[in-house]
Amino acid sequence: MWPAAVGNPISPTKRHRLDQRHWAPYAFLAPAGLFAMIFFFVPVLFSLYLTFTDWNPLSSPRWIGLKNYKYIFTLDPYFYQTLTNTFVFAFGSVLLGTAISLLLSFAVTRIKGKALWRTLYWLPMVTNVVAISYMWTYLLDAVYGLVNQGLALLGIAGPDWLSSPSTAMLSVIIVSVWAGLGGNILIFSAGLEGIDESLYEAARVDGASVWQEFRHITIPLLRPTLLFVLVTGFIGGLSNFALIMVMTGGGPMQATNVVANYMYQVAFQNLRMGRASAMAYVLFVIIMIITLVQLRVFKRGGVESY
Amino acid sequence: MSQRLGRVRLLLVCLAVSLALGLAAAIPNTASAKVKIVVASHYGQGQKEYLLPYFEEYMKLHPDVEITYQEITFADYLQTVMTSRVAGKAPDIYHLYSLWGVQMVGNGALDRPPASIQKMVRQSFVPSSVEAVTMNGQIWGIPTEIDNYMLVYNKRLLKEAGFNGPPRTWDELLKIAKACTKRNAEGKIVQAGFALERGWDSAVVHPWMALLYAQGGSLFSKDFSRATFNGPQGVKALEQEVALFKEGATDPTVSVWDFPTGTIAMTIMAPWYKSTLQKAMKDRFTDVGVAPIPAGPAGNKSVQYTFYWAVDSKSKVKKEAWAFLQWLNEQHPGQSSPMGNFLTKLGAIPSGKNDIAAHKAELGDAFMEPFVNALKYSVPEPNVVQGQEIKTSLMNHILEAFYQKVTPKQALDAAAKEINAILAENY
Repeated sequence: MWPAAVGNPISPTKRHRLDQRHWAPYAFLAPAGLFAMIFFFVPVLFSLYLTFTDWNPLSSPRWIGLKNYKYIFTLDPYFYQTLTNTFVFAFGSVLLGTAISLLLSFAVTRIKGKALWRTLYWLPMVTNVVAISYMWTYLLDAVYGLVNQGLALLGIAGPDWLSSPSTAMLSVIIVSVWAGLGGNILIFSAGLEGIDESLYEAARVDGASVWQEFRHITIPLLRPTLLFVLVTGFIGGLSNFALIMVMTGGGPMQATNVVANYMYQVAFQNLRMGRASAMAYVLFVIIMIITLVQLRVFKRGGVESY
Repeated sequence: MSQRLGRVRLLLVCLAVSLALGLAAAIPNTASAKVKIVVASHYGQGQKEYLLPYFEEYMKLHPDVEITYQEITFADYLQTVMTSRVAGKAPDIYHLYSLWGVQMVGNGALDRPPASIQKMVRQSFVPSSVEAVTMNGQIWGIPTEIDNYMLVYNKRLLKEAGFNGPPRTWDELLKIAKACTKRNAEGKIVQAGFALERGWDSAVVHPWMALLYAQGGSLFSKDFSRATFNGPQGVKALEQEVALFKEGATDPTVSVWDFPTGTIAMTIMAPWYKSTLQKAMKDRFTDVGVAPIPAGPAGNKSVQYTFYWAVDSKSKVKKEAWAFLQWLNEQHPGQSSPMGNFLTKLGAIPSGKNDIAAHKAELGDAFMEPFVNALKYSVPEPNVVQGQEIKTSLMNHILEAFYQKVTPKQALDAAAKEINAILAENY
């Protein structure tokens, strides 16, 4: 029982200890808080300030009010195209990646050698994204790439994967799905392991098919896991930079230029830090809205949290 | 009480030690104090090995100077130096691409060279390179590497297609390019008549600029207030390039970087490509020929860009930095400067007149000589504010024409609209 609760007088030594207890959590949190303050909050606030300025790092920021936002929404020749590309990339890679990884995890949990399969799928996750991007760039080379060489053996003329504006986005989506498969499978496998096996047994006794088990047992009980995969996947997909930067640089003809890549070009090639920061905030608001919508949709479906 | 006194004593001792250590760090050790100069350049592996011995040599001649070399890749150079400036850790000496200079000068990032160096540059360097380092009538650095563009072709492939020499007109070039192109069963180009790069602004824009100048056109009005490249000359220049795509002599999968594999008949490239070709092609390097880009109504033209040494305006060792650069680049009749030696080892053209004269043998070989001769008619890339942004915009629209999504006229008009808006901010 807490001494004060029974009305006992507190000695000065005990009060000192209590004070210590009161401050101790803050003292322990201070280094992490200071780190977050210096490397997160200060840059975030500074970049918010920059959105209202015209600044190249060689000079001092010049206050221009909302002109950066006005330019982005009314004059920028590429912003809407890159925004559309961002959505196509994020929705394409997340929806395709989630569906494939869910089916694969469902299959993996039902076959022998689970650990081996999970390891195989996990391997791309431990490989550097730059290395993955370069590897796929070679694999997808229109003439000498392994993919088109394989298709040629089947008598199929492979497309100009990365050099044609009509197939470049599909190519980077495929690579993104491949690269993210392992992480999703691991998360879904953990979710699947948590589903009581007796539910499946009961369904089988009632004559349910594998698809019915998947549709009526697995999917509903995996909703929290699905929410987690979708939310984190969309955030990652909407802010993807490295994969596209290395594989296509946003080309050909802006076909794969996403907002994160365009922001980099505006900031570091065109030296317009204010405009690029404003784009970052627009992207932030979009990501936040999509995340809130996802949370609302899942809440309606009965998922309170994950 | 005694315990408290002990604590106070301990605290005082700690304070005294800290103070002593702080003072020791703050007061320079005059016995070993050296002037430290940081030099940032894009010369990397396979290149800096030829440059750094000269830094060592200077340090031996000047034991009081310590030079540190900071290697930054070309693609990251501007953003790295900008970031380092914001952090107060800028290098003392920059090696700048001429297009970046205007912004650096406009924002007060560069130091004015001493009068002796300005005089040396005016008197002893190739005029077009002097133009590249001159902004508002003021010289801002010492020109180093000059790069211009020429037609680089594979003699063997041309001969196999029945042609004994390079084309002299664009029509001839188109004819040869078509004859040299081979496709596989799937219809993919396996041997291209011509290569036009697509993902790198200089390689897309510079060849078109050379053709624009050969047509008698210009990029901007003289006061930089508006774009003029979308006139008939610019459109004609772009139509010439687009014809290569329309006629099937190239396509977007063809890359300039495949030239060493012997699957590209012709391209337009700069002299720095020589060392890459030599290393990759080995004995087959003798297949490589260099010729002027086919002439237009304005005669033979090429486009040129320059690198130059400059000193940061906030450097604490400006005087020593300029002294080092003067030693590295000083021009003496009949002699090469250390920089001249370094650049010719790379296969690049130095901009010092005496350096060019002293390296006649290296610069007079079959590959380099046409590039050196073309300096007479090479037009320097203009020193325009937001030059990089303008070049990127041009590249984006030229590529639209390459992919035949728009006509050359539509592409250049769209580029002009974007670029006029950029120019209006600054001129």
